Formats: sequence, C-alpha cells, structure tokens
Amino acid sequence: MTPAQIPAEERLTNLVVALMATEIGLTKQQILDNVSGYRQRVEAGAKPDSLEKMFERDKDELRALGMPVETIGDPADPQDMREARYRIPQADYDLPSDIEFTDAELAVLRLAGSVWSSESVSADAQAGVRKIRALGIDGDEPIIGFAPRIAVQDAAFPALQEGIERNRVVVFDYLKPGEDAPTRRRIRPLVQVEYESRWHLYGFDVDADGERTFLLSRIVSDVKVTGQGFDPVARDGAAERALAGLAEVAASQQALLEITPGTEAALRLGRRGVPAVQGIRVPYVDRHIFADELATYGPEVRVVEPADLRDSVIQRLHAIVDAHAAEETAGEGSAE
Amino acid sequence: MSSAPLLAADRVRLYLTLVPYLLERGQVTLDEAAAEFGVTAAQMRAMVEKLTVIGLPGDSGYWQLPQEMFDIDWDLLDEHDIIEITHDVAFRRVPRFTAREAAALLAGLQLVAAVPAVADSGLVSGLIAKLSRGSADAPPDLLIAPVEVTEVQQVVSRALHDGVAVAFRYQAPDAEPTTRTVDPRQILITNGQWYLQGWCHLRQAMRTFHLDRVSDAHLTEIPITHGDAPVPAEFGGGGDVSDHVTVRLPERVLPLLGAFPYEEIDRTDAVVTVRMSMADPRGIKRIAGRFGGALEVLDPPLARCATREWASAALDLYTVPEASSAQVD
Repeated sequence: MTPAQIPAEERLTNLVVALMATEIGLTKQQILDNVSGYRQRVEAGAKPDSLEKMFERDKDELRALGMPVETIGDPADPQDMREARYRIPQADYDLPSDIEFTDAELAVLRLAGSVWSSESVSADAQAGVRKIRALGIDGDEPIIGFAPRIAVQDAAFPALQEGIERNRVVVFDYLKPGEDAPTRRRIRPLVQVEYESRWHLYGFDVDADGERTFLLSRIVSDVKVTGQGFDPVARDGAAERALAGLAEVAASQQALLEITPGTEAALRLGRRGVPAVQGIRVPYVDRHIFADELATYGPEVRVVEPADLRDSVIQRLHAIVDAHAAEETAGEGSAE
Repeated sequence: MSSAPLLAADRVRLYLTLVPYLLERGQVTLDEAAAEFGVTAAQMRAMVEKLTVIGLPGDSGYWQLPQEMFDIDWDLLDEHDIIEITHDVAFRRVPRFTAREAAALLAGLQLVAAVPAVADSGLVSGLIAKLSRGSADAPPDLLIAPVEVTEVQQVVSRALHDGVAVAFRYQAPDAEPTTRTVDPRQILITNGQWYLQGWCHLRQAMRTFHLDRVSDAHLTEIPITHGDAPVPAEFGGGGDVSDHVTVRLPERVLPLLGAFPYEEIDRTDAVVTVRMSMADPRGIKRIAGRFGGALEVLDPPLARCATREWASAALDLYTVPEASSAQVD
C-alpha cells in the first residue's frame, strides 16, 4: 500500500489506539516508526520535518475532539521536549464507570438533545446521546407531544462558545443603541445566557476592568478568538453571577404603564407586572428592547414613567408614522 | 438521513462510540447502526470494513499480527448486512462526553425542565450532575434562564397527557374573545413562548394557539378524536392564510422577523423586500412596531394605512392638551 492510499482517519484512529495502549507513553519517533499511517510514509522516504508537523497537527486534532492527549516531558528537564512521550490515560478517557443512566433518563436526554435548531450544536447533542446508547441503554418511550426549541440566530454564538471553551479572550465590535459608532471590546468570555428569549454574553471586559453583560444582537463584527488565554477559574459561578445581574437590573427598572383591558398588551404585559394605583408596574432589563416591544402594542399601552422609556417609545412611533406617510404611493418599484 | 461526506475527524469520533456500541449489542444490522449514527448504510459499511485495518502499532519494520487488529464477521456482513466485531483491540469503553456535547445537553435540559412530563420525573438535577462529571473538560456554560410554568400551561399539558380536549377562552389580537375546545396534539415551546397545536372544534381544523392569549383553561372529559391529524407548519399563524403583505427593511434587521414565514422578493443595496403570508394584512401593524420605522409596509394600501394609524393613535396618547383653565369633564 502506498502512503497516499492511507486516509487521514485511518492514521488518526491508529494513533488513538497506540496512545491508549501505552502506559509509559510513546515518543514522537516511536509513533512515526510504528503507527500505521506514519510508518508507511517513513518507509517511503518522507521528510522527517513534514512528518513531525503532521503528527503535531494530528495531536491538535485529537485534542479538539476532546481526547485527553497527555505530554510527559523529561523528568530531569521538564522544558526539554525532544524526548517527550505522549499517551491517552485510560482514566481520563473513559466515562467513569459509576456514572450510569436509566431508560427514563435517556428519554429525558433525548428530548433535551432535540431542542437545538443550530446544526452544529444539535450534532454535539446527538453525539452525547449516542454515547449513552453505547452503554447499552435503550431508553423509555420518547416523551411525545412537546417540541421545545432553542433558536440561535446570532452569528456571534459559535465563536463566543469557542472562546469560552478554550478560555481565550475574544474581540468584537459592539454597537449600543444611540451611539454613532461601535466600540471594540476585548472580553474574557465566561458564559452565554438566554434571558427573555435573547442571548447574552457575560464576561470580563479587559478594558473596563469588570464583568459586563452584552447582547449578542448588538455585536456588529465577526468575533475573533485571540491567542490570549485566561484562567478558567473565572468561569466558576459565572452563570449564577450573570443571572443575578440580569435579575437585579430587571428588579431595579420598572415601567409604570396604563393598559387598555382585554387587549393583546393586557395579556402579554399583565403577566409580567404588578398592579399599581395608576396602571401596572412592569420590570424590564433593557430600555431599547422594551421600547421595541411596547411600540408593537400601539394605542393599547401608554408609558407613564420613566421619561426615557416614554421618549424611546414616542420616538419609535414617530418614525413609524413618518415611514408610512400617506402621500407616498405604495407598491413595488417605487422611485427612490 | 444525512448523506454528507464525513470528515476525517468525524470518522474518528464516530469509531470511538461505534465500537463500544457494537460490542455492547453483539450483532446489529447495518441499517440500525446507520440510523443510530446518522449516516447512510453505505457509509456505515465502509466504516466497519475500514475498522479491520485499525490496530496496535507493530514492532519496527514488521506488519501487525492479526491479534493486534480489529476484526469483524465478514460473512455476516456480506451475506446478511449484520455487523459483529469478532476481535477488538481498543475502545471497549465509552468515552467521556466532550465539553461541547455536555454543554449542548445541559442547556437542552434546562429548557425541557419546564416540560411537565420532565419536571414530574425529578430526573433533571441528577442528570445535570452526571453530565458535568462525565465531561472530559468543563463544559462551556450555556444558561437558559428558568421561567415559571403558568397554570394555563399546566392545564394544557395535562390535557395532552390525559388525551382529552381542553376548553379555554381565546383572545386573538384585534378580535372578540372566543371560547374554544381543542384536541391537543403538540405543545411547541420556542423563544420562551408556549403554543398549543391541536384540532379546534369551533373551526373544525388544526390550529396553533399562543398560550399567552389563553385564559380560563380547563380539562374536559371529551376524549381526543383528531390526535393523529398532521401538525400544522410551526408558524403558519392561527388562521387561514389568504393574504399577503409586502414589506421593505434593511438586511441587518431581517432576523427580527424570526420564525414568521416570508418569501424574499428583492435584495438591493442591503435592503430586502419580502412578502409575508398573513390571515389579516392589517396584523402587520404590530410586527412593524418592533422595527421602529426601519420596516416599511408597501402593500396592500390597507395594511400600510393600518400601520400608520396604529402608531398615530398611540402617539395621540402622549399629546398633552393645550393648557387651559380648570375644566370639568
């Protein structure tokens, strides 16, 4: 067989087998000489340089797949990587044997894995479910009648997720409503939160020197995952801090609204607020987003206070009236 | 069924779960394994055949010995399309979850925790602990903020579970409230909103109901009779789609239309013109509100006019009357 005929997956899989079979680890040279996929290339006279690079790439690829590839340096000189040995410790690879799943649990996880509309996240969820199936669990009858869905429409989502997973600083342009130009942000991403149907990033803003919450829909550039790492200990408890922060904002900001009974506004807003002497008090997290919602209710709701929210709603209503001025003839292809 | 070409990394990942799956189950048909792993039967056959060239590294310069390689029952595969591993050299144990697998399942669990059938099971917290502990690396956190389940949601879920019709008061926007009796078929939960899809006894057809607009829900004793009717498209609206509205909006705000069905007509200089299907074209006035003037209703004139008047009537609420002497209404 010529080296060209040995495909990458065969070489990679053989590499995994070899790294898992060794207790003391294999040196790079042992791997190149013995593992099928490299061995044939060595025999065919491939350059040592290119083979070593191939091994480095393969090693990174396995780590990206979640394989715990361990590097053991020279005990006498840990900085010296020339004689480094590589292995995959069984204990770090195996699903711990005391973790067991029941048929009922698998049914719940199948439903949990079915919620993603994003193809890549959905594939990850399915791969997780399959591992439980491989334990020999068949699962109860599927939970039918419920179709929960998580929509991820924000383009920033996957890159932010990668930044969180790899503990890398991310950089993006962020446009706040009312500002003329976006500002560049450098963030240590800690957690993404879906709150009131919108995705938020919670992270440490390097320039502002504090933890902040960002709306994904206001990220106006591509998200760049930088090479700059950070201590993952910052992720501990970040989800709780993010949620507490959002809840605190909502609790501290309340709009006083007058709502026409029996309308769509009364149904939607009534659930979220508490009755006051004049109208109803409804908490909100973001003035601009809440103003967008209030504008949809038209004359069914009037904002009494705060003034900035009232002004935001009025400004939107004016813009809608202006955009639909009576004199312009409607229709396709109208002259600009 | 996906028939997309598999990348090398996908194949490696697949082997790590396929081998323990096959070893656990003994003999598995090609079709069953293909379905389980989301590949075609042909792809699965090629994967299994390829397994037999995987093995432990040989000693320098020598080919590997048969006992150092995976092997399968070739006759069984060739003649009966059944897979059986007859010799294995690695991957006996199921690997840990990758951080991403765990994260995707953990977030999904937070969402389905609100589903009564799941909440009643009491399994969620135990599963969260197992997934976290079984993950190779700390999963990148995804948090779905918990939302309280309302009484209406409970009642509708119960009706679905018990297989009986549910009766309620339904207040559609810009319409008189009606009393409906519905055979529940499915509950759709998306963007934090709950929708009931089912057979409406009043309309004699499948309908989608937004549960925020439902009140006074109670169970009936009427067994469901249209439980197998096809579920309507996820967001066909609740009524007969007999009309269209044409709107123009900047490309960057297009995602705000969300799941609402539309058809793109034109895209020029980052401005998109789309045609949306609506039961009542005047309903666009509410959707337009969300865009604060960035979306322009072009056609029909009735819809454009309704949008303007809706916003204009709202503005009137804020017009302070001319200051004058005290007045008695």
